[in-house]
Amino acid sequence: METPAAAADNRIRLPAGILGFEQIKDYMLLANPAEMPFAWLRPAEGASLAFVVINPFFVMPGYAPDIPETDVEFLGLKEPNDALLFSIVTLRGPNRATLNLKGPLVVNRHTHIGKQVIIANAGNYSVEHPLPVAAAV
Amino acid sequence: MLILSRKTGESIVIAGNIRVTVVRLDGETVKIGVEAPASVPVHRQEVYEEIQRSNQQAATQPTAALPKLSPPKT
Repeated sequence: METPAAAADNRIRLPAGILGFEQIKDYMLLANPAEMPFAWLRPAEGASLAFVVINPFFVMPGYAPDIPETDVEFLGLKEPNDALLFSIVTLRGPNRATLNLKGPLVVNRHTHIGKQVIIANAGNYSVEHPLPVAAAV
Repeated sequence: MLILSRKTGESIVIAGNIRVTVVRLDGETVKIGVEAPASVPVHRQEVYEEIQRSNQQAATQPTAALPKLSPPKT
């Protein structure tokens, strides 16, 4: 059971950072209802940098990432429900965006500690899975 | 880089708890077995590099415009 204080806390700590951005470990998850289903992952301080993230199941309901046991233990996940999953989105132009299904961010929803996990079945998925972007009007 | 010659079935030991064994030679392909504690992640280098490159492409400005998604298929 989450306390209201924990629920309101949008901070996420990634002790190992994001691959290629290992030095940044503290992030904030910012969600604007108008931008759903997207959310933003921004460094808690410093760097003018952001990652767009999305719940991969929203795009691919059958997504079945195999989270290595090492990572399950590291994150202290006791049951699947403890985990929040985010896929990092790459914006590639006004009408094109892709998401990374090989390396999702897995966050323990209780501790807010997360990790970019390389899934054991990465071979089944793409790092550039196309998002179903609506045609520009 | 330390370079060691190994025959099929021979191993090297790293840090006393990681064992890398040459399992089989098959033309240009070497099958390698890695025994490591659960706390040591082992991945093909390409996957690491692929994800790292993807992250670097994904890093954007906090003001970037987001696309509109087509309604999810039901």
